[in-house]
Amino acid sequence: MTGQLSSELLKLRTTRTLAAIVLAGAGPTLLGTGIEGLSPTLGELGQEETQRSIFSAAGSTAVLFSTLAGLLMVTSEFRYGTIRPTLLFEPRRRVVLSAKLAAAALAGVLLAAICEAIAFGAGSAILSAREIDVALTATHVVALIVGPITAAVLGAMLGVAIGTLIRNQAAAIVALLGYAFAIDAVLFGAAPSVGRFLPGKAGDALSGLPAHDLLTPGAGAVVLALWTLVFAAAALVRSDRSDV
Amino acid sequence: MFGRPFAELKRPASGVGAVPEASDLHPGRTGRDHLRVLACVAGVRPRRVQEMLTVVDLAAATDRRIASYSLGMRQRLGLAAALLGDPELLILDEPANGLDPEGVRWLRDFLRAFAAGGRSVLVSTHHRSEVALTVDDVVIVDRGRLVVDAPLSELVTESSSLEDVFLELTEAPAR
Repeated sequence: MTGQLSSELLKLRTTRTLAAIVLAGAGPTLLGTGIEGLSPTLGELGQEETQRSIFSAAGSTAVLFSTLAGLLMVTSEFRYGTIRPTLLFEPRRRVVLSAKLAAAALAGVLLAAICEAIAFGAGSAILSAREIDVALTATHVVALIVGPITAAVLGAMLGVAIGTLIRNQAAAIVALLGYAFAIDAVLFGAAPSVGRFLPGKAGDALSGLPAHDLLTPGAGAVVLALWTLVFAAAALVRSDRSDV
Repeated sequence: MFGRPFAELKRPASGVGAVPEASDLHPGRTGRDHLRVLACVAGVRPRRVQEMLTVVDLAAATDRRIASYSLGMRQRLGLAAALLGDPELLILDEPANGLDPEGVRWLRDFLRAFAAGGRSVLVSTHHRSEVALTVDDVVIVDRGRLVVDAPLSELVTESSSLEDVFLELTEAPAR
């Protein structure tokens, strides 16, 4: 297992994919922080809720891009056929899948940490440029740090599971983006009391976003973890049964 | 494999080295990194990566991305990966595809030397003339049916080449 985990981490470090995803995630984080920080009036900007919106831009970006990273970790193996040497060297499918889940979780931590650093850096810079004091309590700050990391870790593992279930890379990406940008938002808009239990909205609850229809961060973590567990269990069955 | 299911082998890479497809490589990774990724799992010492790249004559291209490799280079990189665990058995599918004449000669000599060391090589190929120069035993499979399993020396005589034998045995009776 240790060898397979080192291998999966080395796979992440030896292509440009993860770096590209980090860069791709940095853009929306910076944009989100900028919009949330520059559009409110000075009066609004002093309020704790507005400030939570500014700093929470990291969360939703990190969870989406870490899910994408997890998904690509598996689908690129099928796309390029490297799954064959991978399984020739470690034929126990469960070991390979577990190592991918663990490596994805670490990638999620990295992605969330970078997005948070950007959101906190840019957000603080905007507040200080507009001469507004930070109104967040220590609890808020901890939630804004721990929440997105938790969401990104679970999101990345969910991505590995999705990639195992939908091996075709293009189809898996379309499914993920279609879900994230259409289905999740539409269902939540139509019935927030049900929609907030969807994986995307559970992830948003963890981002520290002050939205009243969302679950609490703790409940969001439990719900997202359950989604991840269900998908990982399905992925385990698929990976045990399917030929490569 | 060796009396048990492949997935139950303690160190599969030391039992079997296989190259089912020469194209099973990530184009964005370097040749060296492709082997390092697998070496972690095989539990071999890091130096073996460079040694195997040298064996297959890729030492000059180790840090180039695989996207720039020719088909022959990819074949040789696949072989290097299969050799990482120092396996007892090599399984290769059309290993000579994309190799230049020197490469084909090199592969033939390499496989003969590998087998001479007491180990086995299973090559699946359509190149009958190449087979005749390389192998000890021939297995012919036609439309999923085992047609022949015999030493090369029993099949090939002065008057009939391996190709003759192959065509004779695989020709549909109606034709």
